[in-house]
Amino acid sequence: MSELAANIDLAPLADQVDEISTRLILNGVATLCPTDFERLSQAAAALGSCSPVADAAHRIAEGIAAALSLPIAEQTRIASSGLMELRRLVDEPAANKQSTAPESSRAQPETSSGIPASSSQSNSLAEDEGLIREFIAESSEHLAAIDNQLLVLEKDNSAAETLNTIFRGFHTIKGLAGFFEFTEIQSLAHEVETLLDLARTAQLTVTPAVVDVLLESTDVVRHELAAIAQRLAGETPSPTQVDAALLERIRQAASGEASCLGPASTAIPPAEEPTAIGPALQERRAGDAISIRIDTLKLDQLMDMVGELVIAQTLISHNPALGSVSDARLQRNLTQFARITSDVQRITTSMRMVPIGIQFNKTARLVRDLARRAGKQVAFEATGETTELDKTIAEELSDPLLHMVRNSIDHGIESAEERIALGKDPTAHIRISACHQSGQIVVSLSDDGRGLDREKILAKARQNGLIEQNGPPLSDNEIFQLIFEAGFSTANTITDISGRGVGMDVVRRHVQKLRGRIDIQSTAGQGTTFSIKLPLTLALIDGLVVVVGQQRYIVPIFALREMFRPTPEMLSTVQGTGEMAMVRGALMPIVRLHRRFGVEPRTTNLTEGTLIVAESSGRPFCLFVDDLIGKQEIVIKSLGPRFKNVAGVAGCAILGDGRVGLILEIDGIFKGRAS
Amino acid sequence: MQTTTSLLTTQPAILPDMNKRAGKYLIFNLGVEEFGTEVLKVREIMGLQDITSIPQVPLYVKGVINLRGKVIPVIDLRLKFGLEPQEYTPRTCIVVMRTRQADEDLMIGLVVDGVVEVLNLMASDIEDTPDFGPGVATPYLTGMAKVKGRVKILLDIDQVLSGNELQGLSALLQ
Repeated sequence: MSELAANIDLAPLADQVDEISTRLILNGVATLCPTDFERLSQAAAALGSCSPVADAAHRIAEGIAAALSLPIAEQTRIASSGLMELRRLVDEPAANKQSTAPESSRAQPETSSGIPASSSQSNSLAEDEGLIREFIAESSEHLAAIDNQLLVLEKDNSAAETLNTIFRGFHTIKGLAGFFEFTEIQSLAHEVETLLDLARTAQLTVTPAVVDVLLESTDVVRHELAAIAQRLAGETPSPTQVDAALLERIRQAASGEASCLGPASTAIPPAEEPTAIGPALQERRAGDAISIRIDTLKLDQLMDMVGELVIAQTLISHNPALGSVSDARLQRNLTQFARITSDVQRITTSMRMVPIGIQFNKTARLVRDLARRAGKQVAFEATGETTELDKTIAEELSDPLLHMVRNSIDHGIESAEERIALGKDPTAHIRISACHQSGQIVVSLSDDGRGLDREKILAKARQNGLIEQNGPPLSDNEIFQLIFEAGFSTANTITDISGRGVGMDVVRRHVQKLRGRIDIQSTAGQGTTFSIKLPLTLALIDGLVVVVGQQRYIVPIFALREMFRPTPEMLSTVQGTGEMAMVRGALMPIVRLHRRFGVEPRTTNLTEGTLIVAESSGRPFCLFVDDLIGKQEIVIKSLGPRFKNVAGVAGCAILGDGRVGLILEIDGIFKGRAS
Repeated sequence: MQTTTSLLTTQPAILPDMNKRAGKYLIFNLGVEEFGTEVLKVREIMGLQDITSIPQVPLYVKGVINLRGKVIPVIDLRLKFGLEPQEYTPRTCIVVMRTRQADEDLMIGLVVDGVVEVLNLMASDIEDTPDFGPGVATPYLTGMAKVKGRVKILLDIDQVLSGNELQGLSALLQ
């Protein structure tokens, strides 16, 4: 069938079919005669390999001739069902050509939702903006699922259920795109469906080349969705990527001519094996639950309100007047109230939680693509996909993961030959895992490549002036942290994938934005592990409430190392660099919070207050405050647009007594200490 | 009827403006001076409470307070208008207003010496702001009202808060 589409223009046949059906509708069946169909049959035969149409037309001509004695209604039924069959035969291949010749908009795939795909792309999107946004969201989800399933398919090309899932995904997208008249997506999805159908009916073997084409298609559909979103936002959309060449490649893949592939894949040396995917990914969709879509804005509002509820509840239960009340019923009700409040808070928080597996699927895809491009053999394993975390954090994770994977594949993992020479398994392994650990989520990405080169990093850092030539010796972790500095790259060559030294800098910035931290363990010759520790949610943090004068401040626990009241012998004043404290053999600068923020402290004597050891970009320093109040779980609030750029303040929180406390941003406080 | 028509033709620009100015005003005082602001924009009036100060902001920005779970900025109107600072008294209160700044509704608290009353002002009670001469910028004054021999200065609160000072504030915070 696809050969038909490639070679023959069926438009004359379609015209004939149209003409016959018009006569049937306008003048009734009596005006039709078998010769009409015979003429069509001859025309079809004359066009060459169009035998199905010729055969069908001939058969229908005979059917009508035989039915001449039957009642009119019966004759009409036979004629119209015959015409429908003919139209399907004629239109289906024509529809495949539709995007190469968009003016033949009459051609319409019979399998689509049945709404004509007019080429009027510029239909007023604004009218059903909500619907279209939902279409984009839903299609994106389908695409993510398809990507995931494709990788499974590549590993096991006979998995019927996997094929079906992919098929269903594309089918839904096609149907929806047809409904909204996004003809590019529709025709692309249709083409892919044809390909998948062949694979489903075992007429085509799924080779890595086929998967490549399919993955490319998902990327193009994504691009189209982005373009639609751009149009909705009133921007000029980027030009469509659905072109004849792509559709042609899909058709070629469908007809088994996989040797001639698209530009993206021709660059790949055909030597390597397909990349392996963690088996756990395959079963992921089993636990799909019933769900509804909710606007995240509403969820955020709910979170806010629940935050208020918790504060209100705390205010009530801490009201001093309650101390003198001995009514048992009131006490019981208050306890009940507290319990319900904390349940509501827990459930609300969990509503924003999504399994991290979605990000892992993206990473799996990335590993596969990058490994192929770098010509390295890489197996990918994922564990802990069901670990849940805040949706925003999960989404923000994709950039750091991308850069870390790039770094691993480009710098970390050796080529297969090198690995064999080193006595390693020629297939490298990249493992990604997630788990909950003491109220945080830990995502680690490890490879079994060559590991970080301590000396090379040191040399490069000295060269770039990041550390002093004859500075104090640094620990491994301190040295490894250097790779996160902007513009730092030890790669000898800049490749397409990495080496420009922007990647790891981005990783750290993202992780810090999410109030997390990143650590590196690396053993030369055995590999590198990046561990990212992140809070479970952005709405709550654990904080230490401290006092300076009348003001309360909150120090996020993740930035804290320890706190103590200094003794006079720990303190020293270094000429030109200000006050220092000696903590277990290390000298740390002291930053006085009252001076930094210009508030009246209770005491200016260091030995009468408390020093908090915090960390700014890996460098510890002491923060001087009056006193500590205690650790609290805190609902973070924004200070609003007016105060969003105050250095040293990350936001605020309403404390248990209803007052507002500022959340300190440790980096900002340390960096601005001189002023 | 005749007079109205002639008014319309001779002063077309001023009449709708005058009508717009009529309405209910919350009158508060800073020292001996009385100010009025549209009552529709006032959300609530609350006693003084603990204000959390924010570092690196102009003196007149007192900080933020918790208004039933919302964190809103508080501005000392005395300092904002360049008047002498004064000790807060039991009469001192915070007027919480809804203002519109850069296409965004924003709640803001104003510390004033005391709230006097709510007045219903007719268009005829309100006069245009006199020209105070060069060097006195009065874009946030909508007019002056004379009631029972006393002058109330009417403020356009959006202008008071969106003036260059606050823009300067954002620049300062960058």
